[in-house]
Amino acid sequence: MSAPDLLRIPLLGRFLRWRYSRFVLQLPLLLIALLALYDGFFGRQLAPKNFATVSVWLHYRGFLVLAIAVFGNLFCAACPMLLVRGPTRFVKRFLPQFRWPRRLRNKYFVIVLTIFYLFAYEYWDLWASPWLTAWLIIGYFGAAFLVDALFPEGTFCKYVCPLGNFNFTLSTVSPTQITARDPQVCLSCEGKYCVNGRVETEGGRKTAREADPSEGVHYPGCETRLYVPQIQTNMDCTLCMNCLRACPYDNVALKLRFPGLEWLKARYRLDVVWLGVLLFFAGFMNALGMVPAYYQIAEDLSRLLGTRNEAILLIVIYALWIGLGGGITLLVTTLADRLSGVRQSPWKAVRYWGAGFFPLAFAMWAGHYAFHFLTGWATIVPVTQQALSNLGLPMGDPDWTLAALVPENWLYPLQVVILYIGLLAASYVLFGRARQRDHFLAGGVVFVYFFLLVALALWVLAQPMEMRGTLLLPPGSR
Amino acid sequence: MRKWAWLLVLALAACQPKHGEPLKAQVRFVPEHPSVGKAEVCIEVDPRVEFTRVTVVGDMTHPGMIPVKAEAHPAGPGLWRVDAFDFNMRGDWVLTITAYDKSGKKYTKEVRLTVP
Repeated sequence: MSAPDLLRIPLLGRFLRWRYSRFVLQLPLLLIALLALYDGFFGRQLAPKNFATVSVWLHYRGFLVLAIAVFGNLFCAACPMLLVRGPTRFVKRFLPQFRWPRRLRNKYFVIVLTIFYLFAYEYWDLWASPWLTAWLIIGYFGAAFLVDALFPEGTFCKYVCPLGNFNFTLSTVSPTQITARDPQVCLSCEGKYCVNGRVETEGGRKTAREADPSEGVHYPGCETRLYVPQIQTNMDCTLCMNCLRACPYDNVALKLRFPGLEWLKARYRLDVVWLGVLLFFAGFMNALGMVPAYYQIAEDLSRLLGTRNEAILLIVIYALWIGLGGGITLLVTTLADRLSGVRQSPWKAVRYWGAGFFPLAFAMWAGHYAFHFLTGWATIVPVTQQALSNLGLPMGDPDWTLAALVPENWLYPLQVVILYIGLLAASYVLFGRARQRDHFLAGGVVFVYFFLLVALALWVLAQPMEMRGTLLLPPGSR
Repeated sequence: MRKWAWLLVLALAACQPKHGEPLKAQVRFVPEHPSVGKAEVCIEVDPRVEFTRVTVVGDMTHPGMIPVKAEAHPAGPGLWRVDAFDFNMRGDWVLTITAYDKSGKKYTKEVRLTVP
């Protein structure tokens, strides 16, 4: 029996086929972004009482992991930054057009940007500053505009956007995936319209490249250049549904799936696996940055290096942790390869076993975000009231006692469950891949490594929280 | 177009509700550097201004945290005190002191501190 196709659900399928469905999804997020900008720049500069910081650092992140877990990469589908597309199509007429450099057509540039973003998040305490959060939103829209104006559409999403690539990587755990209903239909498709775009003209059907921009009705193809029958993973899929609208044979499906099959079957590129590895260790660091042990490490390091420069200390901590994580991953996966009798380069070993990091990375971020989202989910009500009343709308008095969704003593058990599910899913990948090589023990070696990482993560999440922006306390204040 | 944008900005700015007047006050803690747990908050205001109510609201700098609220009680001329303000987590705190005078006019002061 084939998996259910969500596009067969009458209203949902019809809505997603509609050419303005993406705009309908983008519009609420655009309005939220505009309100965040307004409150971020003009509202009270206190993070828990400002719409910019609450909506971005609490709700956006919380809903994002929830959407990925229960449906798919909805937040890329609804990304308001792509609304710059209209203006960029206009300015493209006056600007030179470039091709994205071949050397950067991978995830390494995104990895560098993600590391810089994480550094900026900690160094400038973006979470604590409505003003900087508003600038971050402007920066994102500006970058999307610039890249989209100078390079082919989809370049920003696929090769530049750290947030989009975060979503791509985590959406490998999603229960849905775009696929072809009947691959035979794709074999006989003359135009590969899902990727090349379709233009219906009076003279017949053409691909977007063959047609004049002014002729006929245009149905753009996949912006990240995914060819539907070859899609094995949600990586790089923004769920924009262009493929669905471009296919003249109604052969595109959004099928429910068991994500474990992707982790076992997909042949991830090395850069993609490293992105998954980075996101796990970065997620760990993001959580560690909120417990006293982190500040103790910073104090000790400060004494050791003889500096109180936060930038230097942060760079050293991040370089050590991510470098150590990458190095140990390389060693352990190579050892697993050797145990299974395979003698190939360590990079190929990371490619083979590293898929296990995808569910683990998701669990790490989901566990952390769930904590913040569940402790403060209702704060969106008073901050929205306040932001709108600042705009002059009669919204009544905000009730600042609104906050938690679940009792506080549920949070840690919930995080434990999320991380155990992540470990369980990772072990499915590891032992599944070990079975493919007929060598169970090889999977066991990587599993022990993952088990220790999860144990360490659970220890971090069990620590009392400490929320401060300064890495080092002023001398004498302790 | 630009003219309309400026008009919109001005209109929105005009609609902004009035925030309180700045409160001239000295804020002290007992112990001087509070750690996690209860601490005394002493607020010394200008004794010439007759305040009827003083409140203290503590927020952490991370979004999503429930604020800690306390009502100060008069403890002498120009002195208001919260006996046991609950600093329930380590980290950066922002205390908002709000005082109301007889006419109901609001005065506010923000104090930032780190609880180690």
